[in-house]
Amino acid sequence: MTFIDLLMLGFSEAITPANLAFCLLGALLGTLIGVLPGIGPTATIAVLLPITFFLPPLAGIIMLAGIYYGAQYGGSTTAVLVNLPGEASAVVTTLDGYQMARQGRAGAALAVAALGSFFAGTVATFAIAVAGPTLSGFALSFGPAEYVSLMVFGLLAATILASGPVLKAIGMILIGLLLGMVGTDGATGAERLTFGAIELFDGIDFIVIAIGIFGFSEIIANLERSGSEGVKLAPLSRLWPTREDFRNSWGAVLRGTGLGTLLGLLPGGGATLASFSAYSLEKKVSRHPERFGTGVVEGVAAPEAANNAAAQSSFIPLLTLGIPSNNMMAMMLSAFMIHGITPGPTVLTNQPEIFWGLVASMWIGNLLLVVINLPMIGLWVKLLTVPYRLLYPAILLFCCIGVYSMNNRIFDVILAAGFGLLGYAFRKAKCEPGPLLLGFVLGPLLESNLRRTLLITQGDPAIFVERPISLVMLLATVALLGLMILPAFRRTREEAFQEEEA
Amino acid sequence: MAAPTGTGTGDRPDLLSAGLFIGLGALGLWMGRGLPFGTLAQMGPGFLPRVVCVLLIAVGLAVGLPALRRPAQAIEAVRLRPLLVITVAIVGFAYAATHLGFVLAALWLVIAGSLADPGGRWRHILPLAAGLTLFGALVFVYGLGVQVPLWPF
Repeated sequence: MTFIDLLMLGFSEAITPANLAFCLLGALLGTLIGVLPGIGPTATIAVLLPITFFLPPLAGIIMLAGIYYGAQYGGSTTAVLVNLPGEASAVVTTLDGYQMARQGRAGAALAVAALGSFFAGTVATFAIAVAGPTLSGFALSFGPAEYVSLMVFGLLAATILASGPVLKAIGMILIGLLLGMVGTDGATGAERLTFGAIELFDGIDFIVIAIGIFGFSEIIANLERSGSEGVKLAPLSRLWPTREDFRNSWGAVLRGTGLGTLLGLLPGGGATLASFSAYSLEKKVSRHPERFGTGVVEGVAAPEAANNAAAQSSFIPLLTLGIPSNNMMAMMLSAFMIHGITPGPTVLTNQPEIFWGLVASMWIGNLLLVVINLPMIGLWVKLLTVPYRLLYPAILLFCCIGVYSMNNRIFDVILAAGFGLLGYAFRKAKCEPGPLLLGFVLGPLLESNLRRTLLITQGDPAIFVERPISLVMLLATVALLGLMILPAFRRTREEAFQEEEA
Repeated sequence: MAAPTGTGTGDRPDLLSAGLFIGLGALGLWMGRGLPFGTLAQMGPGFLPRVVCVLLIAVGLAVGLPALRRPAQAIEAVRLRPLLVITVAIVGFAYAATHLGFVLAALWLVIAGSLADPGGRWRHILPLAAGLTLFGALVFVYGLGVQVPLWPF
């Protein structure tokens, strides 16, 4: 089949009424949680994962994907109007977006953000369509040794590109790997680390960990912070940007899209990293860097385009290699697994309708999001005035039903509550929980591929450096680790994330 | 970043992380002590758990030892009310859903959970609880077919 045929196949899948409805639902939910500060896409998708079990595979995945990129649109609304990031990836949008709003240009900022995001989404969707078949063809030649090296590289790179101390992130990955080993060992049938509990023989469910660490502990942490009452809104003015705004922002949108698409591909990359990098790039290439932070339109256009591009291009490693690059993609991986689909090169050949349907739905979703976000902006703004105390009981209930509905077991809910406490301790210890999920998802894959490799070579680890692709990946891992030891690089990395902590 | 608090040394959040890493690593080693290690060619079920636990303890030490000498930094204050109330509400829901049915469990969860926020008012909480219970019953039990009894009888 040619490229056009495949795209047509995708669109014919994506515009069936049911899939279209779930795409819209995902986009709406994504916008909603994007607008609301304190509820992130990770927690939302964790809550909805068990529900996708009741849906057809493609519909469920389309909805979850819509939530992720929809949140990137919604986050900018809160950033511009309230000076609060609705999403972590919208932190830099607050810098110039809110200043624009104070000057009465809130409408222009929102429109530039939405149109920039739409452009970026279109480009990134196209990138997936082009890169997918190419990369997965390449991935078909991977043996277990390549997969082991790729996963080691992915896990370590994820810790370095993500914010926060690297050592702690490595520790969190190791805890994730350990949690992934709980249950019956696939190769030998021995039961491991189960405390003798029969309920754990099948391993810990991804949903239990995700809801515990992201759902429950986020609620507890949010309740500790006061000030979740109402918020002060900047006035909303005419929506359409001026011609000058357009002239100033198109370059920034292009650069943001390019950078975001690339950064989304990297392990640990994703929407947040992309928006920060795009903002500092814009500042570097600008002829008037001193005006950033006072309400320049480039400062909104670039990060918003970048975060949306990255949110979508981070699907590429998952869909082509089967390796999730950040915690959102780890969630997506488990959404596929719920339906017995293992993402990776074989999906493209065996179930092309899943891959192409998802790609087509992403573009449709982006189109829907522009409509959802621009004309309906007033509705979302009203939602911002709903206090958190009316929201969290609902989230709590959805979390509990979600965990309970998997096996109808008291045990799962209590285990999730336990992970909530553990997640709370991690928050107090200032440990980012994201890498834990990544380690948990990749752990079993890593172990089985490592076993297979060494079984083939009769215990000779030299194979990892003898196979060229594997060697390149290991060298890249060593190079990254080497960089981390260099003090100069460490300083730059800390500076790059400084704005985030402020 | 929090300002250094008090005198003395010790970066408390880092020390807590070190404690968690070392503690979980040690727990893993202890629980996996009976698992055969195997060889590289024939890895036993204990191979990777042990490697990961040892690495975890090493990372814990690498995080914890330098933190001992850094200027003191306190852990953000723990507020017990949301922590305890939310946990108790969730555990209660799990038992209630199995033995008393969804309606009572959901009412309990929303009402008990709402107590975590000291600013809550009964005239807000009760309608919210009723509304969410109805919504949950319609969407999850009837709509999605979650296998849970609605009533205790």
